[in-house]
Amino acid sequence: MREEAHRFGRARHLVGIAGVPEGARGATGVIVLNAGLVHRIGPFRLHVELTRQLNAAGYPTLRFDLSTLGDSCASGGQQTRTQQVCADVDDAMKLLAERAGCERFVLVGLCSGAQNAHVVAATDPRVSGAVFLDGYAFRTLGYKLRHYLPRLVDPARWARRLTRRGGGDASVTPKAAQPVFAVAPAPRDEVIADFTGMVERGMKLYLVYSGGISNYFNHARQFRECFGKVMSHPAVTTRYAAETDHTYILTGDRARLLDGIGGWLSHNFPPANAGRHP
Amino acid sequence: MRQDADMPFFFGPDAGLFGMYHAPSVPARRAMLMCPPLGQDLIRCHRLYRQLAQSLAEEGMAVLRFDYHGTGDSAGGSAEVDWERCVRDAATAAVELRRRAGVDRIVAFGARLGGSVALAAAEQARFSEVIAWDPVLDGGHYVAELDAMQAALREDAGRFNAPRSHSDVAEQWLGFDIAESLRHQLSALSVASANVPTLVLDSMPASSGRSWERIVSHRGRVATITPPTPWNDLERLETAILSHPLIQAVTGRLKEVA
Repeated sequence: MREEAHRFGRARHLVGIAGVPEGARGATGVIVLNAGLVHRIGPFRLHVELTRQLNAAGYPTLRFDLSTLGDSCASGGQQTRTQQVCADVDDAMKLLAERAGCERFVLVGLCSGAQNAHVVAATDPRVSGAVFLDGYAFRTLGYKLRHYLPRLVDPARWARRLTRRGGGDASVTPKAAQPVFAVAPAPRDEVIADFTGMVERGMKLYLVYSGGISNYFNHARQFRECFGKVMSHPAVTTRYAAETDHTYILTGDRARLLDGIGGWLSHNFPPANAGRHP
Repeated sequence: MRQDADMPFFFGPDAGLFGMYHAPSVPARRAMLMCPPLGQDLIRCHRLYRQLAQSLAEEGMAVLRFDYHGTGDSAGGSAEVDWERCVRDAATAAVELRRRAGVDRIVAFGARLGGSVALAAAEQARFSEVIAWDPVLDGGHYVAELDAMQAALREDAGRFNAPRSHSDVAEQWLGFDIAESLRHQLSALSVASANVPTLVLDSMPASSGRSWERIVSHRGRVATITPPTPWNDLERLETAILSHPLIQAVTGRLKEVA
């Protein structure tokens, strides 16, 4: 299988790499969105490894840069960012439909990519599945108990705190946070309504959250705490990977993530049956 | 700028190398080949390489950016990156750039190991000049730095909830699998001067103990860029490297010799 480089889109402003396996005509296509500001290859080449592994399993793929990210330009229109994202993914779906005959799509996004995938998945009937990596989450009561209780009963932490208050540890200065990735918050009721609408429409969802977002998510139970009973729907699969970081810097963690996505896809969108909406 | 002036394509053996050709709006008289760094530096510099390529294309230069085998969008896994192959890929890319631009004269640019590749490939690729930004000259020192950062990564409390095992971080450098052969190649790397005019753009921290004499003693010079570039800062590992002074320095140099 050979990958194809494309300049495409309504203003020929987008750049992406399509992978079209032999005999994959009509299969469900997988589209991978940018993670933060990283260009289409993904953090540590995550998106290259993912798309090639999925190509080997028989899925057509497209990893591409949204407007103004990576090698893509602005479309020149007067659109909000959300409208741009929807229009860009529409362009991506049209390209993969043309190259591989795809009619149904699975979107994959990490962090802001998950947010963008969520926006499109909530509104576009061609999207039949989505993989949200460190997507929307909210600090729940359970989160706060799990986060603060161990600290309250930790004598070493109290000792450090008292020492600092006494001015005894002047060498420790707070570090300025380096902005890397962020998911802008959305109203929780809105997110729950979106998830509910997606599964009612027949979509399959795979949510994988990492230990790298422990500042707002810290346990597998939190999926249900955040989003309620829709997380128990048979169409929803969740996984909490406490040991990994946000961008899967270790190759073993990355391999387990890719195997998880591949397994979820083959279970829900088997290549032989792909293209037929569940 | 024309939207479709930058064209992505595959080229080289088995069409496995990814390239992005920036066509100038007027017939090119000169061309630049941009050799990327390796590993995480490639991702951190992507935006800057694009900005520089577009600036040069607007000045009338034909520019080719590309990825070596096993990097970026090119074919091959990360563990397949090979130093000699990178140098050969740069020469292959130079052939492709000459074919597309219709010019013979190519200036090579590269950051960190990309600068080292440009210097090492200068003769084979027939570069007319090399502009190297903080090139890696002493591979052994560079490998030691990467090993130290990888060791620190294992216990990085800002990244992991708990320290990872030694086996979890083994045979990798900052997000990428590393073959033993590449480790040996880089450990033994000692970049010599290229027999062409060479400009070293130096933005290494003063504490780095860098010395450029050996590559600029005959036909080169050094220009300092400020502020220093945080190449080896674990906390900024996923922060893009952007430098307007770098773009000014490169475009300024090319205007000098136009």
